[in-house]
Amino acid sequence: MTGPVTTLADLGATLGTLKDVSGIMGSFVFSGGGQLVAREIPPMFDDGALSEASGRLARLRDTFAAVGDALDVAVVRFRDHKLYLKILGDGMLCIVAEGAVNMPALRMAANLVGRRISPALASGVLPAMPVPAASAVPAPAPETPSGATSRPAGWLPPGGRRFRGRVVE
Amino acid sequence: MSASKRDFEGDATPVPAVGFHAQIDGASLWDLVQMECLGRMHAVVEVTGEGGTGYLYFDGGRVVHASTARARGVAAALEILDWTHGTYRASDRAWPSGPPTIDMTHEGLLLHAAQRRDERGASNLVAFPGRGERGAELDANVELAIEDVELTEIEDAGEVEMRNPNIEDKPTPPAPIGRSESATDFPVMLRLSAAGAVIRNRGGTEELAEAAAYAHRLVQLTGELLGFEGFVALECVFTQGRCLVFDEGEGDVVVLKPRPDLDLQALRERLGL
Repeated sequence: MTGPVTTLADLGATLGTLKDVSGIMGSFVFSGGGQLVAREIPPMFDDGALSEASGRLARLRDTFAAVGDALDVAVVRFRDHKLYLKILGDGMLCIVAEGAVNMPALRMAANLVGRRISPALASGVLPAMPVPAASAVPAPAPETPSGATSRPAGWLPPGGRRFRGRVVE
Repeated sequence: MSASKRDFEGDATPVPAVGFHAQIDGASLWDLVQMECLGRMHAVVEVTGEGGTGYLYFDGGRVVHASTARARGVAAALEILDWTHGTYRASDRAWPSGPPTIDMTHEGLLLHAAQRRDERGASNLVAFPGRGERGAELDANVELAIEDVELTEIEDAGEVEMRNPNIEDKPTPPAPIGRSESATDFPVMLRLSAAGAVIRNRGGTEELAEAAAYAHRLVQLTGELLGFEGFVALECVFTQGRCLVFDEGEGDVVVLKPRPDLDLQALRERLGL
């Protein structure tokens, strides 16, 4: 598979090639607005978490853009893991890897994948993945004594935020 | 090393009946403390330095107690670790009764000592440009102080970075950046406190400090979302320029912008990037 990506299936397959590099756990792609477009990563990373992560990483680019720095690539090191973030036109590719991943190989793989999926991201032919229900309605609304639910969809408690698709206060 | 006497300025010592006798000239006290802890020794060590004599009590890979003429516990340990030359020898001093007076890892203790040394040398809080006469005066101080800016600020020759050799593939705190290369290699250097206050600045702006603080928080939160603990560092490559953001000490955030042609490989390796 060497041609440009035109479908979500192609995109998934292309992202899958990143796993040829030892230590890469998976990857996901999101739009410049932070909407998750595709994922090729174990299910332990649920859609809600990836959607929120996408939003934050999109803001990372916006943050530096606000001070005049156009982000191209970012590497985040955590104790045992790395995130490799590559800007692809209006979208972004995020690779999740173990800390000891071979970085030159990862960079090369990311460049190749980036070239293939950039046109599709730029053309907008790849729709954003639906926002997971757990994220849209993060907490089960408690029932009133009469049995009717009292909280609207998307309700958050004061000071609350969502963590991995769940509400934390 | 099984040493009944460990000198870091080379005293003559009797040869023990069993084991190796070691004499290490020029070793740093911090090295010796690390070796003692990594060996998980149960021992009392007498340290004689420029501030007098003190005792460090080692047990189970930690410094659990310390005493000097002026202090006990953490304060005494930090006083001793501030000494830069002297002797270090095993002592037959009695083990203190009561619970340990120091409850932190030896790495934490050494980082505290490094921070104290840092803070003592950091008399120049920094003004950003455009803050009037006082700001200009402080900026002038910054120009003088920048020669002292180091990342981990372990300044004395012969001292080593605080690194645990048992953890090979984990990122480690960066080694000090030499005085001569700091200013020229990193035109922008910022140090932010955990609360976001600018502790030091060279060449940075308030906007960059704000951006770096927010970026730091964003990647921390992203890590939490994905179940990744322990943010270490962020490297950004821009269409023009690069930027490194990393944690250091107790919650400080360091922001560096290197000159375009600077090879960052060594720093990347130290940060695990």
